[in-house]
Amino acid sequence: MQTLIQTFIDRRGDLLTALWQHLGISLASLVIAMVIAIPLAIWVVRRPRWAEGLLQLTSVLQTIPSLALLGLLIPLVGIGTVPAVIALVIYALLPIFQNTYLGISEIDASIEETADAFGMSRMRKLFKVELPIALPQIISGIRTALVLIIGTATLAALIGAGGLGTFIMLGIDRNDTSLLLIGAISSALLAILLSALVRWFQTAKPRHALIVFVGILALLGGGGAYSVYANRVETITIAGKLGSEPEILINMYKQLIEAEDEHVHVTLKPNFGKTTFLFSALKNNQVDIYPEFTGSVLETLGKGNNPAGQTANQTYQLAKQRLAKQEQMTYLKPMQYNNTYALAVTKKFQQEHHLKTISDLTQVESILKPGMTLEFIDRNDGLKGIKKTYGLDVTAKSMEPALRYEAISKGKINLVDAYATDSELRQYHLALLKDNKHFFPTYQGAPLMKTSFANKHPKVVKALNKLAGKISETDMQEMNYEVNVKKQSASTVAHRYLVKHGLLKEGR
Amino acid sequence: MTTAIEFQHVQKDFNGQTVIPDLNLTIDQGELFILVGTSGSGKTTSLKMINCLEPLTAGKILVNGTDTTTIPVRSLRWQMGYVLQQIALFPTMTVAQNIAVIPEMKGTAKKEINQTIDELLAEVGLDPKEYRDRMPSELSGGEQQRIGILRAIAAQPDIVLMDEPFSALDPISRQQLQDLVLRLHARYHNTIVFVTHDMNEALKLGDRIGVMQHGQLIQVDTPAALAQHPVNDFVRNFFGASRAKNVYDVYVGRVGLIQGYLTEKPSVASGRIQSLDVQATLRTAFTALTDHDYVAITEENRVVGYLDSQRIVAYLSQHEEVS
Repeated sequence: MQTLIQTFIDRRGDLLTALWQHLGISLASLVIAMVIAIPLAIWVVRRPRWAEGLLQLTSVLQTIPSLALLGLLIPLVGIGTVPAVIALVIYALLPIFQNTYLGISEIDASIEETADAFGMSRMRKLFKVELPIALPQIISGIRTALVLIIGTATLAALIGAGGLGTFIMLGIDRNDTSLLLIGAISSALLAILLSALVRWFQTAKPRHALIVFVGILALLGGGGAYSVYANRVETITIAGKLGSEPEILINMYKQLIEAEDEHVHVTLKPNFGKTTFLFSALKNNQVDIYPEFTGSVLETLGKGNNPAGQTANQTYQLAKQRLAKQEQMTYLKPMQYNNTYALAVTKKFQQEHHLKTISDLTQVESILKPGMTLEFIDRNDGLKGIKKTYGLDVTAKSMEPALRYEAISKGKINLVDAYATDSELRQYHLALLKDNKHFFPTYQGAPLMKTSFANKHPKVVKALNKLAGKISETDMQEMNYEVNVKKQSASTVAHRYLVKHGLLKEGR
Repeated sequence: MTTAIEFQHVQKDFNGQTVIPDLNLTIDQGELFILVGTSGSGKTTSLKMINCLEPLTAGKILVNGTDTTTIPVRSLRWQMGYVLQQIALFPTMTVAQNIAVIPEMKGTAKKEINQTIDELLAEVGLDPKEYRDRMPSELSGGEQQRIGILRAIAAQPDIVLMDEPFSALDPISRQQLQDLVLRLHARYHNTIVFVTHDMNEALKLGDRIGVMQHGQLIQVDTPAALAQHPVNDFVRNFFGASRAKNVYDVYVGRVGLIQGYLTEKPSVASGRIQSLDVQATLRTAFTALTDHDYVAITEENRVVGYLDSQRIVAYLSQHEEVS
């Protein structure tokens, strides 16, 4: 509880931003869904065959898993707010359409007959008789849609649209229950609050309802207008993947760039998603810069064969060439640390058996008790390859990533797989073994941007190049530890490093 | 008298089946005309053809001399009130808003509409202050149908169509509303076409009655003529069947209608004559005749005629076996 409150206080700024984004996406989706579904439902009331078809269609749309829907939309409309809103609108159609349709078509036939017998026009009948009678049902459809939207909108974080889902994703990623709870509870509270508001609309005097409705629209519209206005000054958008490490890096980028060029404002989009999302965001100019790993470029982005046993520099050069040729992108010089797969033992175990490299493990083969993730055990560039390359003969127990660290600290196992910069290495006092045969591909981080952008912003390039060759694996572990475990802000941690290493003057 | 509504060789088919083969009927202005018949006789369909809720298959209907198909359907309907069995007040509107529906569409001034609403409510015995802003769901069935009638006549239409308006109501409300229709008709002199399956109601209300069977008009006549000279067994039996289950529950008014009244005031002491409303039952009449010689039958406090025990016994002897 204490940590929950502390996290809440630390993050209240972020939370407000996320809440605002969440609200914006949700309400925009709801309004669009209403504008589509209500007139459509009114139109098909007199066309039962169409109605049946459309009900089926909206039901089918509803059954598509939300993640799959988001995935399907990426190649069509890219990432960010647009696909999120489209997906949410699709989900909200069914309850609104169905309730409007049923609400009107279930009106007593004698009432319809009376309205006709009194010579009411089609429109008058609709607005004076049918809609008022169907209103409670339409409103309940809108409320269902709203609750659905607010819940589903948490997935928007996956495709870089932000919102409260950011907290939930981060919470899962960092195994931080407080963050997860804050995201989930805020989203639930938002749903309850808005649902109550919609219900109030139903009973409120029309004038009051109108004032509040216009007020909300103005507020959101104002927010939108402001962000358009804010974007007019030279703004550079830097995004980072999910996790503490990219967040620390992009904070360093921001501080370095803003120190170099006072006329530039940098907007950060931390926890923006995974590799492919970010890459297409960069291509679509939604993002100007993001840190990417050399290994990831070869593995997922650039096309071509990937020769094995490359040195770090060879990997970088290959990635750089491919990006320049195939995508017209500029890949600046990488930092020092290599965030690749690694094998780790406890420091105590390392000293007892004088272990430095992975090759050294063969000497203690008989007493090794490895516990590793299922994925690592199964991959050719994981344990299988290690056994072949280093002539190691061990059998590993498969374990959940989080459990693995628990187990090694308690002595149940004595060898784990890890990422080289995991904060847990620092937290559980583990030591990495050197990959002396260059088995693991290199994953060095470096800023990626479009070549056109790099040409236009030499000062930005200059600022970012200051990081080339900096930051060791231990530095990164330490910084990740400070953010993940000690809950310091990524910005503070980044600043401290830059000042300490003379890249930034104190006080900036 | 001028003609308000005229059916000329009207035919109506449903799904290729002819339900009304050839209907010819003239209804005069200011007439309270009753269409009566068993269910499926085509009486409601005939009514709905007047305001084009049901289109004609062949023939034509003239309203005030004009073919209804040549008038825009909305202006045709604006001059016709409509009251139906389901009452069908608009549930989201207050009593006042319901009554104002047609005058509003016709563009009557708001002030005038409000005045009309208050007058009409007062006329049917509902206090405007108390009832104006009530919702239909807060009213009893009888009260709702009162509003239903007011809604139909608020714009002072020439013609009011009523489709079995009282068949879903309890007997007391039904009587009160029948009286209301008579009163409003006497006051506004509009033409009313009233559909019912209840011969008692037809006899009580109608200036003329049209009896329908299988889509055909069997007989059109005044209540007295219909009662005394039914054109065939169907009409006669229809009277029998629609009579009260127990012969002693028959209205005395009906006995007078069939047996004929004594029109002269009998020359006995006025203490020997008991006054009874037309809607009093035969049972009451018998009780009255145990210590009186005659009963004076009154309708709205006006004496319509006198009955003695002979006439009542004669009626009983003709009809008792049926009950």
